[in-house]
Amino acid sequence: MISDFAFLISGAGLICLALFRLATSADLLMRVLGLNVLAIGIAMVLLVSARGAEGTDAVPQAFTLTGIVVLVGVTAALLALAERVAEARDE
Amino acid sequence: MMLFDSVIAAACLGAAAMALFARDRIAAVAAFLVMGLLVALSWLRLGAPDVALAEAAIGAGLTGALLLRSARRVPKASAKALPPAQWLGAALLSLAVSGAILWTALIVETAAIYPALVNEALPESGVENPVTAVLLNFRAWDTLLEIAVLFAALAVIAVVKPVHPRIAPLGPMMLPFARVVLPLTIFLAGHLLWQGGHAPGGAFQAGAILAGGAIALGLSGMVRPIRWGRAALAGLAILGLGAFVVAALAAELLTGALLGYPAGAAKAWILAIESALTLSIAATLLLLFIGPAERH
Repeated sequence: MISDFAFLISGAGLICLALFRLATSADLLMRVLGLNVLAIGIAMVLLVSARGAEGTDAVPQAFTLTGIVVLVGVTAALLALAERVAEARDE
Repeated sequence: MMLFDSVIAAACLGAAAMALFARDRIAAVAAFLVMGLLVALSWLRLGAPDVALAEAAIGAGLTGALLLRSARRVPKASAKALPPAQWLGAALLSLAVSGAILWTALIVETAAIYPALVNEALPESGVENPVTAVLLNFRAWDTLLEIAVLFAALAVIAVVKPVHPRIAPLGPMMLPFARVVLPLTIFLAGHLLWQGGHAPGGAFQAGAILAGGAIALGLSGMVRPIRWGRAALAGLAILGLGAFVVAALAAELLTGALLGYPAGAAKAWILAIESALTLSIAATLLLLFIGPAERH
C-alpha cells in the first residue's frame, strides 16, 4: 500500500514538473522532452490506479502500452517539424 | 521492499528534474534515459512487466535516440527572462493540476470491472497473457488504429523531410560489440514475440528491440547503406498495417465480426498478425529515426 502511494506521488510529481517546464520553456527540444515526461507521469498514475486485489488490471496496461507507441510516433513527428522550423528560420 | 520502492519513486522524480532543468542538452537527454529505465523498473514493481519492457525499449531507448539525434539540430531558444508573474502562474497551475490528479486518484473508489471480464474470456482468446489478449483480441481494433497512427507519423516525416543523421565511424570497439549484440537482438526479438502469448512480451517490444539493433548497426558506420533500402523499409512498414487490415476483413467474412477470430484458431491468427507487426514496427521505428525519404 505504501509502495503504491510512493509511486502515485512520483507520478503526480512527474506531471507537475513536466507541466511547469512546458509552461516556462521556449526551447522546442525541451518541450518535446517535457511532453514525454508528462505522458510517463500520466501512465504511472494510470498503472497505480490499475492495482487491485488480483494483480494489475490488463486493460489499463494495454492503454499504457498503446500510449507509449503512439508517443514515440508523435515525438518523431514533432522533432522533424522542429528541425524544419529551424531551417526555415535560417533561410 | 517498501524502502526499495520509495527510493525508486524518488529517483524517478530526481532524474526527471535533472532531465527537465539541465542546462546542457546532452546531459538532459542522458538524464531522460536514466529516468526511462527507473520508470521501467518501477512499473515492473507495479506488476506491469509488459509495459515496463515497452517503456525501456521504446520510451527510454528509441525516444532517447531520437532526442539525441535532434539535440544538435534544433537550435536553442534565446533565453529571455520570463516575468516573475509567469513563473508564479506556471508553478501554481502545475501544482494545482497535479494535486487534483493525486487527490482524485486517492479518493475515487474504482470499481474494477475489467479483471473479471478478462479472466472469464481469457481461455477463448487463444493466448494466456492477458495484456496480449486485450491488445490483439478483445481490443484489436485499437491496436489496428495504433499502427495507423504510427504510419501517419511516418507520413508526416516523409512530407517534412528532415536531414539525415550524419554517420561518423565509431572506434575499434564497435565491431566486437556489434558482433555480439546484433545477433542477440534478433534472437531476443524472436523470443519476445513468441513469449508474448503466455508471458510478458509481444510485437511492440520485439519490434522496438529489432529497430534498436538496426540503429546501432547503422550508426556504427560498418555497413554501406543499400540504395533501395529505404523503399524496402517503407514497404515493410506498410506490410504490417496491410496485413492487419486484411486479417480484419478476412475475419469479418469468416465470422461476421470485425477481428473476431474463428473459434479455436485464435492463437494462429494472433501469431500471424504479431509476426507481421513485429517486422513492420521495426521498419517503422527505424524509418522514424533515419528519415523515410532521401532529400534532394
